[in-house]
Amino acid sequence: MLSTLQPPRSLTLLPFRRFHGSKTIASLASSSPTLDASSVSPPQSQILTTRRSLLSGETTASEIAKSYLSRIRLTEPQLKCFLHVSENVLKEAQEIDQRISRGEGVGPLAGVVIGVKDNICTEGMPSTAASRILEHYRPPFDATAVKKIKEMGGIVVGKTNMDEFGMGSTTEASAFQVTANPWDLTRVPGGSSGGSAAAVAANQCMVSLGSDTGGSVRQPASFCGVVGLKPTYGRVSRFGLMAYASSLDVIGCFGSTVADAGMLLHAVSGYDRFDSTSSKQDVPEFESQSLSMDSFESKPLKGVRVGLIRETLEEGVDSGVRSATQEAASHLEALGCLVTEVSLPSFSLGLPAYYVIASSESSSNLSRYDGVRYGNQVMADELNKLYECSRGQGFGGEVKMRILMGTYALSAGYYDAYYKRAQQVRTLIRKDFKAALDHNDILISPAAPSAAYKIGEKKDDPLAMYAGDIMTVNVNLAGLPAIVLPCGLVEGGPSGLPVGLQMIGAAFDEETLLKVGHIFEQTLKGSGFVPPTLPNVA
Amino acid sequence: MAATRALLAAISACPRRRMGIKSSNFSSSLQFQRQESRIIARSFSSYTNSSSLPDISCLAETARISLTPAEIEECEPKIRQVIDWFGQLQQVDVNCVEPAIRAEMEGRNLREDAPQTFENRDSIRASIPSFDETYLKVPKVLNKE
Repeated sequence: MLSTLQPPRSLTLLPFRRFHGSKTIASLASSSPTLDASSVSPPQSQILTTRRSLLSGETTASEIAKSYLSRIRLTEPQLKCFLHVSENVLKEAQEIDQRISRGEGVGPLAGVVIGVKDNICTEGMPSTAASRILEHYRPPFDATAVKKIKEMGGIVVGKTNMDEFGMGSTTEASAFQVTANPWDLTRVPGGSSGGSAAAVAANQCMVSLGSDTGGSVRQPASFCGVVGLKPTYGRVSRFGLMAYASSLDVIGCFGSTVADAGMLLHAVSGYDRFDSTSSKQDVPEFESQSLSMDSFESKPLKGVRVGLIRETLEEGVDSGVRSATQEAASHLEALGCLVTEVSLPSFSLGLPAYYVIASSESSSNLSRYDGVRYGNQVMADELNKLYECSRGQGFGGEVKMRILMGTYALSAGYYDAYYKRAQQVRTLIRKDFKAALDHNDILISPAAPSAAYKIGEKKDDPLAMYAGDIMTVNVNLAGLPAIVLPCGLVEGGPSGLPVGLQMIGAAFDEETLLKVGHIFEQTLKGSGFVPPTLPNVA
Repeated sequence: MAATRALLAAISACPRRRMGIKSSNFSSSLQFQRQESRIIARSFSSYTNSSSLPDISCLAETARISLTPAEIEECEPKIRQVIDWFGQLQQVDVNCVEPAIRAEMEGRNLREDAPQTFENRDSIRASIPSFDETYLKVPKVLNKE
């Protein structure tokens, strides 16, 4: 039973502030935020804590790894975050311990336990994109992001559950299992990176990788009460990320703190010759933004211009989400920000434009899954029949639907009316964001119109499902970076459900997002969101 | 669909975009109706001529995906509903607007067109369902005529 679980005793994490969820947002919103350092300590970086405790000899990578594996074994029957748990975790941890004992250097992610979304290739480990068509597929190579993690000493603990090929917003479209939200086991964790988000929320791993095409890192971060970071398009190599929509896909990071998400992003960022869309822009040292609260001035964000997107607080958004966002804006003001309302006139066009583009590009990208070179094959007498049966039996319903919609939108006579037109709308959206960010350092909005849905609630209504992406898709169309961090709770579940604040930055300006996000998080009263169904961290 | 259209008669028109004129808020592209704790999205009024709505069987053949009659029956109304919803983009004035293929790129970022041998070819071969020495085995191709 979850209530009898003991926390990993070998971890020397500083105590998180446990947020005892209240029925309304009022208890969080009513008190004005303070920078009183004598109050309960804010959440601490697990990456930095692990590094310190390994190098000081306080603990070993093997002890840490054993405790996380034990926690996964105990919580997985209820949560189902992982499609595969690595058999090499202890071996890799022992190698790190041996290097430390020999006085050899170890990388900045040494001993850090990391989950990886199952559409990111990991050599020798199954990578299925949660699809039957790739059920037994083991890639012959690591994705560049995974290669970098391993080079820095990170331990990939397993592959996390997701909506099949990234097509979904609840993780219910996985061909294999449905992941539960650690805050309420009857609710979804969000999607498509639901497994990665839930695994961090449940402390099954310290950080995780996801992918974000239309919000698939940010929305589950909001639903699970963790930090989700979507980088600028091109910041992180997509080599080894199974393509869904190539002009929109990025690899993103989850952590329990902004600092952890930032350090993971730094680890996986950078130009890659295997991805012609990867950027040669310098990668800043994001860790330097993670200042201690003791060093904060009284108005640490003085002069930072924040634009609250007006269209995201209108009809259709849950009232609790609206309140949480407005309170977050007040908190930013108290920290010294200049918060004004901005309008993005093309905002409402983003959702249909996104789904035209994503469906169209996915219909092309998924044509490679034909049962010939890899994946499950259904033998037939004739080649076209082999393709049709392998794909018909290998793909799930949502994937088939999106491929068919994309095929339609790209077909002769309709290409200009749908795909080209959606690309033109993308230009309008990019211009609106650029205009707003010329006058603001960041923009803010809710991450989703509501908190987590009940499992099964949206499954049969595609438009209802798509509607939940309204806050996130425009950012992908514009290729901008964004971070979501928990800012409050709304009614629902045993003790409330988390909601996230989305901050959007200018292209390649993840530094500002991480700086603002870190200070916001460290000064937010009631921060340290821990699901109530899980045991306290000692 | 008839019930949806009746509901949509009361919904404000989709955003009409002219350069420099603000559009309506996001809820005008998807009208949200709360029923208890559920949010139900309704598609906008139909912009798509019914004769141009997709033939699912033809699309499935083009996409090389076999669908059972039950699957066609289940997905056809959903696909048509979504394609109908896509139609609101027709109302947007995109005159003189260049299509954006992706986010802004820094310039040509190409490598030399020089092949390199992958070092782990055995691992690639291990993934091939039907392999015979140097060949991937597939059934014959039959002309449909």
